[in-house]
Amino acid sequence: MAGEDQERFEDYLELERYIEELQAGHVAHPPADLTPERARVYRMAALFRSASPEAAEPSPEFAEALHARLLAMDEEAQQDLPQGQPQVARTEQPVVAQQDKQEIQPSPQINRSVPKRARFVPRRSLLAGGAAAAASLLVGAGIGAAMEQAGNSKVASTATPTPTSYPSGTPIVPDTIPTKLHLATTLTKLGNGAVPFTSGAVVGYVIRNNGDEDWAGESEVIAMSASCTHMGCIVQWQDSDRRFHCPCHGGMFTEDGEPDKSGRMSYLAALPRLETVIKGDDVYVVVPDVKSL
Amino acid sequence: MHTPRGIPKKTHLAAAEQDAGQAVRPADRRDTDRQWSQNVQEFQSFYQENLGLIYRYIYSKVGNREEAEDLTSQIFIKAVRSVDLERGPHSMQKWLFQVARTTIADYWRSYYRISISSLEELLDAGWEGPIEEDAVDTSTTPMERVQRILQALPEHYREVLTCRFLLNLSIKETALRLGLTESNVKVLQFRALKRAADVEPVVKGITGTP
Repeated sequence: MAGEDQERFEDYLELERYIEELQAGHVAHPPADLTPERARVYRMAALFRSASPEAAEPSPEFAEALHARLLAMDEEAQQDLPQGQPQVARTEQPVVAQQDKQEIQPSPQINRSVPKRARFVPRRSLLAGGAAAAASLLVGAGIGAAMEQAGNSKVASTATPTPTSYPSGTPIVPDTIPTKLHLATTLTKLGNGAVPFTSGAVVGYVIRNNGDEDWAGESEVIAMSASCTHMGCIVQWQDSDRRFHCPCHGGMFTEDGEPDKSGRMSYLAALPRLETVIKGDDVYVVVPDVKSL
Repeated sequence: MHTPRGIPKKTHLAAAEQDAGQAVRPADRRDTDRQWSQNVQEFQSFYQENLGLIYRYIYSKVGNREEAEDLTSQIFIKAVRSVDLERGPHSMQKWLFQVARTTIADYWRSYYRISISSLEELLDAGWEGPIEEDAVDTSTTPMERVQRILQALPEHYREVLTCRFLLNLSIKETALRLGLTESNVKVLQFRALKRAADVEPVVKGITGTP
């Protein structure tokens, strides 16, 4: 190492100034342009300063504030979505969003660049449930609008009795809003895979019903929303594994719209069902009849 | 696979209608709530374990509360933003300390600038580089290191450092206590810290992180 620095009068003064500032609890920095040897002296001063009793612990206020900030930051990050959100999702955002609880933000419109990695606190697992309904409502934003038109001020309207053809539950399109039949495809054209359809506010798939009797009863074809129940991205059907894949966070659903248990997001809710009506060869889906979009 | 169940499994709107904001079917809600609170718990313990460590480490480098808080915040924010959830807590801690190291290195670089001329001389003389970045030694706390160093110092150096730092005495008080002039104390503390810097690598014991 280089030869020792000659001690100068300023050294003592500058050091003393530094120590006094630290003792007073102020921010302090060593003088600029120190030789490495002098720099070590100042680093020792900082080290020794940290041995004083008041330096031991972070203040509780600071600890709490940072904790809250980290959680808030994480929640904020949940709203970031990659590009590739369908246009459909951008409609009627304020209408639906302000009716939801605060955690559920109109996320698809925020175009921030987003890290693709999972969040530290995957709060989406909390939001999954809420966001499921919210997101599918956002995509099928026409439902919100339509409900508004029907005079309901809340998205979560008071439920109407279920149609008798279903064993339980209420279909995604409740009776209170005007609906129409959308011709999605024909039985002839419908092979074994899922066929997408878009009708104004709703993006979904129809697929042959292979034995799921809960819902469809005798219907040969079932329909479901294509909006991933995580955050609303449109899932893509893949013939190779007979799964719906979400391009956003890797969610996967079976041909019934159930979350794939082997996948990363097995806790997601299933893709919401839509009612189908088959007339002859034609396959219709019951969708909200939205006049203005 | 397709067995009918009693619970309405696909009626999200129904659930939303029942309970705005809690729009999960009953089975889902238990699962997601459990998972969520588990994740929050994990974050909680990770935070509690590591906040103190990072804070004290940073404090021992910057010497004051304000910057310690500021840099600690920066570190956690940076780490949380870019951490991969898939890692376990141990490697997340390593990542956290990695971020702390580079943050301190940046801090050094801005405040401990070495003048160009002396740098060149030093490099000519075979000196290695401006900033030695210690790997974060998590095996000893800053306090422990200070104690070990103190014990390795001659008595008069040990005394002055104890007065000024551990007891937080002023120059005047220290001078009184040690029977010295104030100028003496200023010289003494300088030399004591210099000797401490010499001694530190030796008393640290095992070099490098565990």
